[in-house]
Amino acid sequence: MLRELGALTRREFLKLARNPQAIFTSLLLPLLYLLLFGQGFNINPANFAPPGTPPAVVQGIVYAYFRGAPTYYSYFAAGMVGFVCVTATLFIGANVIFDKLFGIFKRTRGTPAPSAAVFGSRLIAGAAQPILLAFFVLGLAILFAHIPGLTGLHVTASIGVLGATEVVLAIVLLSLMFATIFLTIGILLDVPQIYFAVVNLINLPVLLTSDALYPWGSMPAWLRTASQFNPISLAVNVLRETFFGASYYPYSPEIYLLGLFAWTAVLVGIAILLVQRALRPLD
Amino acid sequence: MQNQGAIIAENLVKVYNGKVRAVEGVSFNVAPGEIFGFLGPNGAGKTTTVSMLSAGLRPTEGRAIIDGLEVSHNAEAVKRRIGVIFQEATADGDLTGRENLEVAAGTYGISRAEGRSRATALIEEMHLTDAADRYSKTYSGGMRRRLELAVGLVHRPKILFLDEPTLGLDPQGRAGFWGYVQKLRKETGMTVFVTTHYLDEADTMCDRIAIIDHGKIVAEGTPNQLKDRLGGDVVTVRTAPGAQDMTEALRALAGVTSVQRTDDSYRIKCSSGETLVPLAVETCYTAGAAVSGVTVKRPSLDEVFLEFTGREYREEDGPTATDRAVMMQRVRGAMGGRR
Repeated sequence: MLRELGALTRREFLKLARNPQAIFTSLLLPLLYLLLFGQGFNINPANFAPPGTPPAVVQGIVYAYFRGAPTYYSYFAAGMVGFVCVTATLFIGANVIFDKLFGIFKRTRGTPAPSAAVFGSRLIAGAAQPILLAFFVLGLAILFAHIPGLTGLHVTASIGVLGATEVVLAIVLLSLMFATIFLTIGILLDVPQIYFAVVNLINLPVLLTSDALYPWGSMPAWLRTASQFNPISLAVNVLRETFFGASYYPYSPEIYLLGLFAWTAVLVGIAILLVQRALRPLD
Repeated sequence: MQNQGAIIAENLVKVYNGKVRAVEGVSFNVAPGEIFGFLGPNGAGKTTTVSMLSAGLRPTEGRAIIDGLEVSHNAEAVKRRIGVIFQEATADGDLTGRENLEVAAGTYGISRAEGRSRATALIEEMHLTDAADRYSKTYSGGMRRRLELAVGLVHRPKILFLDEPTLGLDPQGRAGFWGYVQKLRKETGMTVFVTTHYLDEADTMCDRIAIIDHGKIVAEGTPNQLKDRLGGDVVTVRTAPGAQDMTEALRALAGVTSVQRTDDSYRIKCSSGETLVPLAVETCYTAGAAVSGVTVKRPSLDEVFLEFTGREYREEDGPTATDRAVMMQRVRGAMGGRR
């Protein structure tokens, strides 16, 4: 099983490394968001405070609006990490469909390689991309904070080893979860157009019901409530609470991680059932 | 049915979606070391049968037995014993030839070091050394087929399934491909099951042939046995457009066993073509039907195919007559004029 998994995973990474356009495109999207959207949309609720409002009160308004983050950009940068964990996995299933169309998947299915190796190799390579991209986003956002004229991510809390581990876990779990979802859909479907239609049906509602990009203070109460069950929000909450402190979060990062883990476990469980059925040795 | 065959099909049936009966009770037995040709028109059930034999598809009824193992219950073990060369290219174009082979070896649980060593040997064997480290998407059609063959052999299978292996190859490419297969069979005693549209390939390369049509085996035997079953030569007489029907008059001639008319063309089966031609031409002229052309054919697999499937071999599915002639000449040359 390990040799088969190793061989197929090697293939995935070789293909990835030979597709610099895809790597460039995957870096471009978060770069544009960080460089343009985040900078241009960097709203400051302090500007709307009546003149003469004490600075401490103004600062309190800002913190409440952005759940402890000192600026929208800092709040948004943590959200962008969740955002890329989803968007970078969108194509993973499409690659399976194209491999089916080109006969490559048929060749693999004709070998005795277990379905777990076929699925696992693509999952490892598929999840590695958003994980790396998430750290690229974090690094770039922190770097921007040190470039004159740009706004960046300001981490205001002390992170520590536990906090750093929790951030990594949140990124890994969220990436694995969405990679599993989209990979499973790719294995079940044969037509790229249908795949992208289904992916959009999942991707957009999940992204738009999360608090990844909306300022917390501007969200209606019902959306805030709904967003707290959203897996992207759960992961982003781990990051924000770790980066900006616990004052504005009702639960600890561990609880959010537990929620994210539950989501991942349920969805991976469903995916395993579906994939086992789809990749049976004889159909 | 005896059970010592390398490939045994026992009353295989495949019904898709409860409606479409793709294969209807196919049975045959391929002996170890044999090259067995499986012929049939498009949609006759060839690929479905190969899929059932190679653990790609579960039969609706019947059994497939490979090297003594029933496929339905031993899919993984069967996959380790067989190599499959698919109709379409399955090598990964973004990987080099060598990487394709190494990855393929890994999918059979072969270690990296052993996979690398087998890849190098196969690359050399298939004359791909110069192109081994190029992306396979840059390969010519012939090189790709050779790479496909190498990928199918990397785990050293006992039985090789070739599904339309030379489709789209030029005569040189086809001759080269068959040269490798013949060599393999000679050196390893490998059993080869091949589906092909190219009847001359089947005639020259296969020890035995089965013809499938509408999901059923309609003929089986050695190429010579099948040709002998046609019972003699085939004379085709074409009369001028609008000439009277000559079917009965031609059927009455000595040595004629059957006459089939298609428009102004008569396909006459007879014991001796040379003897019949003057008689047939004279009969037509006497009756006032001008003859515009006459051909005499010794029985070929094309004739066998037509006889058993009722369909002319379709040229658009295969090579031109010139291509085939050139290829067969080269193949015979390569094999030292075996047939």
